[in-house]
Amino acid sequence: MAVSEQAMQKAAQPSRLQRLWEGLSILFASKVAMVGLLIVLFWVFVAIFAPLLTPYTPTEQDYVAQNQGPSRAHPLGTDDLGRDIWSRLIYGARVVLVILPIGEDFWIPGGTAIWGVILGLLVGSTLGLMGGYLGGWVDEIVMRILDAMMAFPVILLYMIIIAAVGASATNVVLAIAIVGIPGIARLVRSLALDIRTRDYIRAAETRGESVWYIMFVEILPNARGPIIIDAMLRVGYAIFAMGTLGFLGLGLPPPSPDWGSMVAKGRQFILSGSPWAALWPSIAIASLVVGLNLFADGLREESLRYQ
Amino acid sequence: MAKFFIRRLLLMLLTMVIVSVAVFLITEAAPGNVARNVLGIHITPEQEASFLNQQGLDEPMYERYFNWLFGSDWQASRKIGMPVRQITTEDGFKEWWAVNEDGSLIRWKMGGEDLLVQRRLADGGVEESLDNERWGVKDPVAEIERLEEYRAELLENEQLTEDDRQAILQELDRILEILRENSRDSDVLVAALAGPEGALEAMVDPEAMRSQGTFQEIAEDVARDDKLMQAILVSQSLSAPAADELEKSDLQTMARQLDKAADEIQGVNPTLEGRLRQAAESLKVEDIAAAREVMGDTVSALNEVIGSLGSFVEALQMGDYRQAVAVLQDLSDPAKTPLDSARLAVLPSSLEAIGEAVEDASPEIGEMLLPAVESLRAGNTEEARVAIGEAAQALDELGRTIARGDAAKGARVARIFWGVDTQNRAVRWEKGTGKVVWRLIMGSGWMAFSGGPAEYIPLQKGLLRGDPGLSLRTGRPVADLLFTRLRNSLVLAGIAFVIVMPVALILGLIAGLNEGKALDRILSVGGMMFSVTPEFATGIFLILIFAFWLDLVPGATVFGEKAPWERPEMLILPVLTLTLIELGYVLRITRASMADVMKAPYIRTAFLKGLPYWRVVFKHALRNALMAPITVIMLHVNWLLGGIVVVEVIFGYPGLGSYLLDSALFKDFNAIEAGAIVLVAVAVGTQLLADIIYTFLNPRIRYA
Repeated sequence: MAVSEQAMQKAAQPSRLQRLWEGLSILFASKVAMVGLLIVLFWVFVAIFAPLLTPYTPTEQDYVAQNQGPSRAHPLGTDDLGRDIWSRLIYGARVVLVILPIGEDFWIPGGTAIWGVILGLLVGSTLGLMGGYLGGWVDEIVMRILDAMMAFPVILLYMIIIAAVGASATNVVLAIAIVGIPGIARLVRSLALDIRTRDYIRAAETRGESVWYIMFVEILPNARGPIIIDAMLRVGYAIFAMGTLGFLGLGLPPPSPDWGSMVAKGRQFILSGSPWAALWPSIAIASLVVGLNLFADGLREESLRYQ
Repeated sequence: MAKFFIRRLLLMLLTMVIVSVAVFLITEAAPGNVARNVLGIHITPEQEASFLNQQGLDEPMYERYFNWLFGSDWQASRKIGMPVRQITTEDGFKEWWAVNEDGSLIRWKMGGEDLLVQRRLADGGVEESLDNERWGVKDPVAEIERLEEYRAELLENEQLTEDDRQAILQELDRILEILRENSRDSDVLVAALAGPEGALEAMVDPEAMRSQGTFQEIAEDVARDDKLMQAILVSQSLSAPAADELEKSDLQTMARQLDKAADEIQGVNPTLEGRLRQAAESLKVEDIAAAREVMGDTVSALNEVIGSLGSFVEALQMGDYRQAVAVLQDLSDPAKTPLDSARLAVLPSSLEAIGEAVEDASPEIGEMLLPAVESLRAGNTEEARVAIGEAAQALDELGRTIARGDAAKGARVARIFWGVDTQNRAVRWEKGTGKVVWRLIMGSGWMAFSGGPAEYIPLQKGLLRGDPGLSLRTGRPVADLLFTRLRNSLVLAGIAFVIVMPVALILGLIAGLNEGKALDRILSVGGMMFSVTPEFATGIFLILIFAFWLDLVPGATVFGEKAPWERPEMLILPVLTLTLIELGYVLRITRASMADVMKAPYIRTAFLKGLPYWRVVFKHALRNALMAPITVIMLHVNWLLGGIVVVEVIFGYPGLGSYLLDSALFKDFNAIEAGAIVLVAVAVGTQLLADIIYTFLNPRIRYA
């Protein structure tokens, strides 16, 4: 028995490696996905190592060098307060991708946009699972609430939420999560509706497992594929939303480096001849979002081809 | 079919109700404060409460929701006891009036303590007259309680003379008796109260009461001369034990301050001026001991005089006339205020300041003080003392009159009246309650009134009757601006839509027909890039390229009073931004749908039959391929609205989106709620439209 188990494990191991290799080769096969991945990795890299990549802090002001173009001292120029745009950009990337500032000096790892998606996933999948698996009046109530939320124009929802709870990183997370919930819940519900008819769910029910066990241990892991792809696209949306919120003055409060608010501020100086402060953060957010989408799209296309 | 639409319509209504409640609840829960945004951050809590009260924002939430949705005029006309009606004036303003039995329109306002009625004449003019008969007695039981407390206060009032006190108490006791006997009937009460209240009224001297108001406004620091105060401070720090350790720079500063004080009294009192200069010189050479000696008693006298004048003004402000009179008497008494040269130096200018201030309130007393100043300057102290003494006596008399009037006013029974005021609110006016109300008076800011409006119901017809109320930000009806803004946004979105649809559908079809080829890759990757890039970034790129570097079109929109289509060149960039965003999205959907359809078996069959390529595409594939994009585009309106908000902000376009954003940041409740409802109606309406179009495009549903 023992021998055959070992043999099976041995047989399984190469297959796991093989699967990893297959996945990677899918990635490498798609040039589009590779370009996207490189762009995303670039931003993740500068975000993580931001303090090592610039001699300035994002709030350091140089009173004699305001609204300047690129120079040796300031590779991307300076904004209207003489702050180095490159430092503000990479610290801004940090807030989006790597850290979530909670208090004055307190932050937790895992980017504002990332946490927004995670929180939305938690609540959205719970609602979706409840609606899809439990059905009946639970489903009816959940779906009606989600319908009403979907009817809200997204931008209005953002504006009202932020106007109600105030502008801060945690509230941006909250807003992104709330806006994402209906979409995630609908997706998970449709997956749950399909999976609940499978035999292994019947088996779990016959075993007398609890409802929560079936929902989170049996159904959710089996629905992970589409959820993960959806989540990747949602990170793109979340970054998009963060930028838009910042641009409308509903994002991180100043002076935190926030791409959207940098553009909003820099916009005022374009027509007076200093476009840099608005240009660079626009390029940054556009490249990151496009990179994420290229990556996700390429991946999806290649994986479809391999299926 | 019909059943399907009715079901959809009902669902839409249900959604709108949920949305209106949700918007209302969320904006309610908001911690920010509209009062602060309107009045500035330094308002006092009382002012804030008064503002919220005036706007009707302190009512319970369900009541405000009801008023907002169905109007507040029903509630108001019940309280007033007359119907109220909204009219449009010749100038286009909306006004609320109460309607008399004979159909004429009236409303009210307060003039001092009098109720004034305005009657609207047939030609639109307004006729004003006194209307004090409408006052009703405020709840007699509560009034008995209040007046009894007031009686106890009267007994302890030190400003009153004994005679006045007795006279007022006599009337007050009669009033209390009347209140206890006739508890219910308001008209009987009013008639019975006329006697004692008339007697009280006779004790009030309107002239004196006007002086009282002015006294309260005299600024506290009127008697304090800044620069002389500096000199006093210098002297104090010199006599402190730590003076020997003062830095050189500190000494220089002090010397400068003394010089300035000396400049101030230059020519008024050469002796004091000389002393101050001497002290300053000593400080400049760091001779602290000498400076201390020179300043010595000079300054202590200075201090005393300025201090006593300060307390005089303070006493006037607080209404403590006894204290104010005592200060003047001290000045006129040689035993209490010996006028040495130091005091003489300060007194005239301070006394002059007081005289000028008092003159506003009571010209008589002011004129008595001014000769005293003259005499002091001329060195004739005796004459000055006599003049000050006379002023003290006059002030004493005025103080008694004011105190009597004040006490007599408070002894009356409080009255109330519900009516429509001149600012489109139903108002409960009260007088004689002794409560202070803050009101915003145009031109003079916030002022405190005893009596006046106590409760407000802002009159509005309610959203369902087409009146979402007044905007707190602009003070104008929300509806006026909302529809201009909505029109502007629709113009923007409409033009973008008309451009996007054909272009995107055609490009999408081309990409779909060439699936996998280079053309398809370029189109779909390009489309994706445009559609996922945030609108503000696209907008910035376009401004930079077309407005900044190429200088072809304006980079911002300024319309003034004009409609957007009158300045078409300003629409180019906003429309282009919106177009690019939507283009990518529609293109990708169309491409996917076309590619799918082209793989369907019936298309293959058509090709195998030998039909020409274009015939297959246009006749067989197109219709099915367009079904998905058209409905998806309609559902995409939610996203499009987001794009419009951002585009409006980038280009400063006066649309609904930027209006909503400004309102949300300002917490302008009525504007946010109305705007949100309009936006949601647009969004839900297009979804309904999408369903209908889909039904017509798809025979499988149509014939089901």
